[in-house]
Parts: sequence; C-alpha cells; structure tokens
Amino acid sequence: MRRLIAFLALFCAFAAYAQTPTLTDDVLGHLAKHSQVRAEFTQSRENPALAEPQLSHGDLLFVIGHGMVWHTRDPFDDTLVFTSGDTSRLNAQGKLERVRDGNRGVSQVSGMLQSLLAGKSGDAMRQFTISAEGTPAHWSLHFVPRQSRVAKVLAGITLKGDDFLQSIEVNLASGERTFITFANTRDAASLTLVEAKVLGIP
Amino acid sequence: MKSLSTTQRAGLFAFASLVVCLLCAWLLFGRGTSPLQTDVLTLLPATERHPLAEDAVERLARASGDRMVLLVHHTNDDTAKDAAREFGATLGKDPVFASVIAELPPFDLDQLVTPFLPFRFHLLTPEDRAALTTPGFDPVDALKRRLNQPFGANVGAKLTDDPFGWMQHWLDRQPWNRSALVPEDDLLTAHRDDGSYVLVIATLKGSSYDDVVQRQALATLERAESAMLAKHPGATLLRTGAIFYAASARAAAEHDTHVVGIASSVGIAILLLLVFRSLRPLLIAFVSTALGVIGAIATTVLVFGQLHLLTLVFGAALLGEAVDYSIQYLCARANAGTTWNAERGVRQVRPALLLALATSLLGYSLLAVVPFPFLRQMAVFAIAGMAVACASVFWLLPALAQKPARAPLSPALVRLALGWQRVASGRRALLGVAVLCVVAIPGWLRLGHDDDIHLLISPPKALETQTATIRDVAGFGGGSQFWLVEGANTEEVLQREEALTDRLQTWVADGKLGGWTGISAMLPSARRQATNIAALTPLFSPRERMSCWLGQAGFRAQGGAGFVAAWPGRAFTLDDWLAMPAYTPFRYLWMGGGEHGVGSIVVPQGQDDANLLRAAADGLPGVSLVDKPASITALFGRYRGYADIWLGGALALVGLAFVWRYGARSAWRVLLPPAAGIVLSVAALGYLGEPLTLFHVMALMLVLGVGANYAVFLREGEPHVAHLPGAAYAGVLLSAVTALLSFGLLALSTMPALRHFGLTLLLGIGFTALLAPVSVPAPKNRTA
Repeated sequence: MRRLIAFLALFCAFAAYAQTPTLTDDVLGHLAKHSQVRAEFTQSRENPALAEPQLSHGDLLFVIGHGMVWHTRDPFDDTLVFTSGDTSRLNAQGKLERVRDGNRGVSQVSGMLQSLLAGKSGDAMRQFTISAEGTPAHWSLHFVPRQSRVAKVLAGITLKGDDFLQSIEVNLASGERTFITFANTRDAASLTLVEAKVLGIP
Repeated sequence: MKSLSTTQRAGLFAFASLVVCLLCAWLLFGRGTSPLQTDVLTLLPATERHPLAEDAVERLARASGDRMVLLVHHTNDDTAKDAAREFGATLGKDPVFASVIAELPPFDLDQLVTPFLPFRFHLLTPEDRAALTTPGFDPVDALKRRLNQPFGANVGAKLTDDPFGWMQHWLDRQPWNRSALVPEDDLLTAHRDDGSYVLVIATLKGSSYDDVVQRQALATLERAESAMLAKHPGATLLRTGAIFYAASARAAAEHDTHVVGIASSVGIAILLLLVFRSLRPLLIAFVSTALGVIGAIATTVLVFGQLHLLTLVFGAALLGEAVDYSIQYLCARANAGTTWNAERGVRQVRPALLLALATSLLGYSLLAVVPFPFLRQMAVFAIAGMAVACASVFWLLPALAQKPARAPLSPALVRLALGWQRVASGRRALLGVAVLCVVAIPGWLRLGHDDDIHLLISPPKALETQTATIRDVAGFGGGSQFWLVEGANTEEVLQREEALTDRLQTWVADGKLGGWTGISAMLPSARRQATNIAALTPLFSPRERMSCWLGQAGFRAQGGAGFVAAWPGRAFTLDDWLAMPAYTPFRYLWMGGGEHGVGSIVVPQGQDDANLLRAAADGLPGVSLVDKPASITALFGRYRGYADIWLGGALALVGLAFVWRYGARSAWRVLLPPAAGIVLSVAALGYLGEPLTLFHVMALMLVLGVGANYAVFLREGEPHVAHLPGAAYAGVLLSAVTALLSFGLLALSTMPALRHFGLTLLLGIGFTALLAPVSVPAPKNRTA
C-alpha cells in the first residue's frame, strides 16, 4: 500500500495538474512537459529491524499515459512494468508475467492515474494535503495523508526536484523510511521495441 | 343425525363456523408474527436433486438477506459524503435498524493482522508455494528482493513478523480486499465519471419478510431519503436488498388482492341483487362464500404454517367459484316460488352440488400432487374453501332460507338464458361446435410456449436496474449460479473445493472467469496446509539456518528471532475460521452442521455462461453447478409436458363419473361443453399470440372442473324447473358470470403466472358456459 501511495504521489508529480497552491501547479506543469523520461535511481530503505539500509540501483523509464518500467540491476536483476491496472514482471525470456500479489492496490493506483491524466486531480486531492516550498527551479512538495486510516500507516511523502524530479522520500508511521534519488534524468528520445511493447505503445 | 332439525343442524354449523372464525383470527393475528408470507422464493419448487443444494440456494439468496445495501450518489464528492453521513445518522436513530454503517468504525490494522500470526506458516498463496518448491529457491535472494521492492515493503504485518511477505500475500488475497470500494474520509466510496458513490449499509432488526419490520424500515428510509434530497438537491439513492424485493412483491400482491377481491365482491353483489331482486339472497350467498374463504385460510395456515399473499390473490378469485353452490340453492328457492321448502330444496340440489364438488375437488387435487409449493397451497386453499362453502349450503343455508323467495329470478335473465339455450342446443349446436373446432386448428398450430422463471418472479425494472448499478459500482456479486461442493466431512469438502478452485485459477489466468469466492481461499484443507508446512520445513531445519539467512539479508539478530521462534505455529481450522470476525460476512459459503450434511458454495464472478460454468465441475467428485433459474425453467417445461397427460387423465376421470351418473349414452353430451371449452380456449390463446405456459395448462384443469359443474347444474337442474323453461340455464349463467368476474379479474394481476391463469379461465369458463346447453336436449323439443 505504501508503495502504491508513493507511486501515486510520483504520478501526481508527473501528471501536471493541481489546484492549489500556485507553486504546485508550476512544478507539475513543468514536469508534465517531459512526457517520456529516463533516469537512474538509487533506492535506500531504512527499517528498525534492519542492521543497515538496503540499497538498490537501476534505471527507469516513465511514459505519461502508459506507465513505468522499473529495472533493478543491483543487488539483483529484475524488471517490473507498471501499467494501468497491472503490475507485471519481464522474465528472462522477455515475456511479461502478471504479478498477482498487491495487484488490487496497483489497480486502484492505475485508476487514480487514469483520472489524473484525464485532468482530474480529485483522487489525489482527496487522499493528500499537498504543500509546496521553494522555487520552480528548486522545489519540494509534501504529501500528507488526509485519511486517518492511511495516516496510521503512512506519515508522509516528500518529492524534491528542479527541472526533473530529483528524489522521493517515503516515511511510514512504523519508522521505516524509503529514499529514492534520481540521477542523469533526461528526456527519452526513443523507446526500444521491448519497452514500447511492454508499455503498450503502438 | 336424522333426528336433528334444520335449525339445530344450522346452530351446530354456526357454532363450528364461529370456532373456525376464531381459529382463523388467532392464526392470522393472535400469534405475534403474521403467517402472511411475501417471500416469492418459498413458492418455488424444489428443483435440485440434493436437499443440500436447495439449502445452498436459500443461503445464497439470504446472504445479504436482512440488510439494505444503499449507495448515495452525487456529482460533487463532498456533497455525496455529507449526504451519506447525514443519511446514515438519520437511519441509525430508528430502532428498526440493528445497525447502520455509513461512517466506518475506527480501524485498527493490527486487529486484522494479529489473529493470523499463529497460522502464518500454514497459509500460503499458490504462487508462494510454487516458488518455495521450485528447485534452487534461494531464501537470501527472496528476502533481498522483498526488501528492495520499488517504493517500499508491505503494510500489514510487521517486517519482522513476515520478512518474506508470505502472510502479506495471503492477506491480500482475502475476499474483503476484493471490493471495488475504497475507504475515504471514513466512508466507503467509489468514484466514477458521473461523480462519487458512498456506501451505506443498514441491517434490520428482524427479517426482511416481517411485515412490521418491513413497513417501519421502508417508511424511515423514505423519510431519510426525502430529507436528504431536500438538503442536497441532485443527490440520488440507489438501493438493493431482499427487503425491497419483498416489499414490491407484497405491494403487487396486495394491489391484486384488493382489485380482484373488491371488484369481484362488488360485481357479484350487484349481479345477485339484479337477479334475485332481494337483499336476503345476497347476504346468504356472501355468508356461504365468506365461510368458505375463512375455512380455506384456516386450513392453509394449519397445513403449511403460513399463507402466501399470492394464494390470497388466488383465493380472492376463488370467491367466484365458491359462490356457485349458494347460487344454485338460491335459484332453486327462487324458482320454487311459494311451494318452497328449505329441506326439500337441499335434497333437490344435493346431487348436483355433490357431483360438482367432486369434479372441482378432482381438478384441484391434481394441482395438489404437483411438487410445487405455489400450486399446492392454491389447491389446498381451494379444496378447503369449496368443501366448506358446499357444506354451508347443506347445513346452514336451509335455516337462513326458510321462507319462500319474495320474487322469482329476474325474468330478463331467464328470457335471455332461454333464448341462448334454444340457439345453442340440438343438432345445429353440435354442428356449430364441430365448425368451431375446425376453426380452432390454426390457433393450435400457432401456439408457442414459454417456461421462463419470470412467470413467477418479475421484480420491477427500476429495482433490477438499481441492483445492477450497485453490483457494478460496489462489486457486490450474488448471482443465482454457483458450484455446490459436497463431502462426507469438512476435510473432504475443502479438498474437493480446492480441486475445483485450482482449475478455476487457471481459468482466471486465461481470462475465462473474472474470479470466484469460496471458503478454500480463506481456509485451506488440512492436506494443503500440510503441503505448505512441507514446503517450508527445509528452510527451518535446523532453525539456525533461517536465522543465518535473515542476518545475511540484513536483519538485526534480534529482528528475526521472533519469526524463527514462531515456526511452525498451528494449523488453521474451521473453528478458527468461524471465530474470526473478518470472516463473518462469508459464513454463508460454508454449510456445516445442517441436517443435509456438509458442503460449501463457490460463487463465480464475471462469467454467467452456464455451460462453461458446468464444464468447470466436469470430472470433479462432489462438485456440481447449481443454476436455479435454469432448473426452474426446465421444471416448468417438464411439468407443462406432463400437464397434457394429466389433463387427459382428468378428462377421463370426470367422464367416468358422468358415465356412472348418466350412463354411457348421455355422458359425452355432459362432457362436451368443458372439453370443447378447453379446445377453444387453447386455440384463442394461439390466436392471441400468448405462448402456452405451465400456468395456462393448470388453469385448463380448473376450466375442466368448473365447466363440468355447469353441465351438471344444467343437467340436474332442468327436471326440477320443467315449469320454467330457461331457469336452470339462467342459474348456470349466473354462476358463470360470477366466476368470470372474479377469475377474469386475475387477468389484471401484476404477476404473469396469475395473469395467465386468469386469462385462460376467462376464455375457458366463457366458452364452457356458452356451450353448456349442448349437454341437455333442446328445450323446444322437450316442451313440444
């Protein structure tokens, strides 16, 4: 669920729509100009039960209106494809396998994504109080759950960035913290055949 | 008995009647709960070979039985939520609701997760079990992958309680996670293009079919709805639940009872006044009929423990037949003029009434042997009603009709009767009947048939639409098709269900099925749980290895200790399942402890092709598809086929009775009117484009019973009124018109089955009454 909420927040950020305040509009509007983005990511997870943070690296492709390919290279190789309504894994044979677990949440998120892309931020606004600080060149957006049920689990999400999204921080009420930083973010000029296929782009 | 005088006998009968009236009043009003039944399901015949399947049908129908499922809709999200909150609060104030859930109670994730901890190693998803048993499963790699999932780990069990995510995966599969509704602002909501929908569930304190509960709850709902609409214009309320179906069925049946009962009573009263031109005969006829109806109600409630409203509708129509006996007696009185003697009058009409009663009872008892509650109740009601009405003519009416009639039968009616009787008898009439039968042939050829269940159950379209919308928005399924799994004990049922659901799982993957709900997704069989444990055992033997792996994956030493120590926990049992509050809404899926053995229900989603669903059960022992609407349709069709044979049999029996009474040479004449009536009514149905249903054929049996009465009345009555040509037939016409008034009004009923019944009787009685003069020689010849 947390994964999904954060995911949602990411989409919010990319989806170029918000009502208040103005800085949020600016930032989202800016991000939405990049309809296909590639980046390298580093994800760090801290949990009281873990001796030290878990680190993973990889690269991602994000296409507005279609979904995201999340390719972890280290410490293992795994490619997840998030499209509307589904999470799939790209197996060694280059075939997509549906990931059943957590499917329900992903389908909810994809529903929200669809409505956001249709110009309706209602879903995100119902779920989060969004505040912004900084300037369009150097900003941070804070998402605090409005729903007490969610707030019991999720403390908050913070997005930071400039022209592109630079980091996502997800804090759980349990003390777990996930911090994802992006580097080498750039517009993806063209997609590979496999990428286009798994994201359903003709 | 012989020594009793007319008044003594009448006194005894009146006393007995009073007792029956009191009994009837007590049965109806004196026992706290009303025996009036509005649940249409109770009228449906048992179609399944196994009583467990019938139990299952009932269970599924009642799964949301005593709840109202309501959706508040508004284009504006905040308005929808405010409206739903206030609406829920308004409903909640009424004690008729045991609980109203609009705002969700405070939610504690731990309460959902903690009860599962002792069983976590026994409960694995098929995917996890498959992964664990794949050669080369690497626990450290599995942990690493989970810990590094994009955007975080699970919510639910703590990471230290569930490092691999097995329990999280299991919980994600539980049926409560399948609703399309999302908790938002403490409300269960769904968002569509046309706005927001908010769920409100109101549980009744009592049964949906309880008259008092039903009325009070619906009144409160209506008040709350109008208050909501006044305050939030544009809001709409969608509703579904057994109570709404029951209420609409009740309203329809009450409407029918009123229309048929009142209209036929008034019509019959006017008719009797016109014909007898005196108030006394009218009162006498009504006393006799009322006693018949009261006796019928008391008997039906005593036999069945309840009285269905639809039986009452039919009973209202039965007035028209029950009144026949007293009409015959009153006609005899009017025709006798000043020479009237009440006792002699009884002796005069007795053979005709007994023969008529016998043929009626024969017709109705054929209905009673059909294993179909609706028809059976109608038959018992009719038999009791007819018998009491007839008995009242023999024992009570003579005391009430001591004095001769003040006026003879209306001469106009007698003239009319005589006129028609002259036309419709003799050789010419027989020729006419033959011609009519030839004309009937094309009508017969045009006849189609219809066996759909909607003959019996036809809920209002608006309610069906709302139910469909709610199913669509909220994802509440609940069809009438399901698989029934039977077994000797809990374990066998669960294993058999798993055999089915394993197959269904591949269907879901292939897109042949949307999903399914069954207990085995919540409670695996002991064998499957043992398989789960067997899949995990290598990882925990010795336990130190697991601790070591957890450490390698990055857990602190004390972090994984609890997890390792908890292995292997204990098996999840049926008792555990029953004890878990989260599973309470799904208990209807399990059928244990009943009188018909152990079983379970698996409900398909997203597929209603019965052939495909049936194929899923192919070759699986103890698994069968139950499809109640299809079973009923098949049953109607089968009975319709048998009904022809019964009708033929009944005709033969009545014919034998006539042969016994009138001799072989005259019997065919008496049998001709009802037989021709049946032939012509069926032809008329064909010309009208009405497909033949089981209910048409059942009505034809009554046509036979009633039609035979007319021929008998005419045949028996004629010698007694030799001085008054046409008088006997006038009495028959009077009987026929009263019957047409009441049965014919059934044709206005809201229920298709009763409508068909009414139409057939209207046609059949009409034809028979017009053809009745055929049964006696033409009056002209006799007087000449």
